Amino acid sequence: MLNVEQLTKKLPDGRALLNGISFRVARGEFVGVLGASGAGKSLTLRCILGLTQADAGTATLQANDGQTFELTTCKGRCQREARRRMGVIFQGFNLVKRLRVIDNVMIGRLAQIHPLRSWLYGFTDAEAAEALEALRRVKMEKYADRITGSLSGGEMQRVAIARAVFQKPSLYLADEPIASLDPSNSLAIMKLLQPLAKETPVLGVFHQPEMTARFCTRVIAIKHGKVVYDGDPVLSHAQLEDIYGDELMQVLRPTPALPPEPEASSSAFVGQVDEATPGLLAKQAT
Amino acid sequence: MNFPTTGSPRSAGPLVPLRLRKPLLVLLVLGGLVVVSARLCKVDLAEFVPGLAKGVEVLRFFFPPDWSSLQEMVGPALVTVLLAAVATPLGVLLSFFFGLAGARNLSPGWLRSTARTLIGVERALPEIIVLLLLVAALGVGPFPGVLALAIGSVGMLGKLFADAIEELDAKVLESVGSVGATHSQIIRFAVLPEVMPALLSHSIFRFEVNLRASVLLGAVGAGGIGFELQKAMALLEYERAMMAVLVTLLLVFGAERISDYLRRRVLDGGKLA
Repeated sequence: MLNVEQLTKKLPDGRALLNGISFRVARGEFVGVLGASGAGKSLTLRCILGLTQADAGTATLQANDGQTFELTTCKGRCQREARRRMGVIFQGFNLVKRLRVIDNVMIGRLAQIHPLRSWLYGFTDAEAAEALEALRRVKMEKYADRITGSLSGGEMQRVAIARAVFQKPSLYLADEPIASLDPSNSLAIMKLLQPLAKETPVLGVFHQPEMTARFCTRVIAIKHGKVVYDGDPVLSHAQLEDIYGDELMQVLRPTPALPPEPEASSSAFVGQVDEATPGLLAKQAT
Repeated sequence: MNFPTTGSPRSAGPLVPLRLRKPLLVLLVLGGLVVVSARLCKVDLAEFVPGLAKGVEVLRFFFPPDWSSLQEMVGPALVTVLLAAVATPLGVLLSFFFGLAGARNLSPGWLRSTARTLIGVERALPEIIVLLLLVAALGVGPFPGVLALAIGSVGMLGKLFADAIEELDAKVLESVGSVGATHSQIIRFAVLPEVMPALLSHSIFRFEVNLRASVLLGAVGAGGIGFELQKAMALLEYERAMMAVLVTLLLVFGAERISDYLRRRVLDGGKLA
């Protein structure tokens, strides 16, 4: 499915952010990526998506339709075709707030319709019905006609998942999907991702080892741009200490809503929320 | 900031307290500039006072307005409104493309700076100069008027649109791109809906500006109520001219009220978006 080999990304000054990352994701897997802040977890995902250009190494996607994509080198049309086969869920939800919920879900299929059609009449009724089905899967079908900006963070993340489901990808990528959510919403999102992974593999970056231990089928740990662990999702305290170092106490605190950054003082916390939950703030502002 | 030091309380102190010296100096310099400018522009109060009386007398020629000409004003007034009504959407469309090209998050550097420069140059040109250039090229009539207003809108709207687009959340654009959408699809499904309220509100305001400009342009050959006014003045039919002024006031005032109402609805409800 996904095969990452020796992925490398360097800063202009030569310091390596990713130092030869290699791993595989196979059918039926729910792979959780753990690691301290700045270890290179999200960057790995961005390189796979082509949002950041890797300096060296390969990431190969074997899509369900038999096509193969070299993700680090393909550009333009090839890149769009590859992205169409990967459903992405972001930490900040990143939905178009002024569109209705159902429109945001249908954005998932943009790469499958002609650009001209997207300007002329958009999506068909059949596609809308299918999008509603995707919303039903995340229990958000009642919100289909709501303006997306009026939803809460947990609700928006469900819509983002529905968008990815509607996209019918060959792989799901989740970049800290629960980092901006409260514990109960985090749990709900994990419970949605778990059954999805049985059909289509999920590669997700997480900050809560207790969540990955409970839901993932495999865990990869990244430290200083290298894979330091790849295996059973349940990690010992010693292993976690090795992965997280000084950040360990931050991570083990069972509060998913807290930012994992080590400098998470009260003021940094405000800044973090500001960045992570724009929807929440927009709601308060109105 | 220097603290005033006026010495011990018993000493007499300077003639002008220290803390007043700076403002006094500024006042003196400004006053001097006003006097010099007035001299240079031949401002003469001695001539102004008797002139004022004459001015009031001339003003009396305008009253009462020639109500019988009201009927003849309706047509030209409509032309003026139509001029603005055709020019504004045209200008909005033009400005939207300039806005896309001038937005840092959508366009490469060379395109952005080119678009921003063109927008800036246009903004520096008053509509009347654009019209005079177009009249020279296309002849007299409403068409160069429409074009002049449309092009004239780009200076303001192009910049406002580009700024609105640049304020968009980069992560949202990236997220829509992450499903494999093309550039134009990102514009259609992320940029357009997100900037729609700003776009509508600025466009409605621009219609108001264009209506006023359309009166002015009418006087220099684009037709409409401005042309009626100019004609009546040239023929010394002051009562008729007054009627044209009244109709113009009505138009501009009405447009302002309607535009205020519409913009409030767009910004509050977002229902039109």
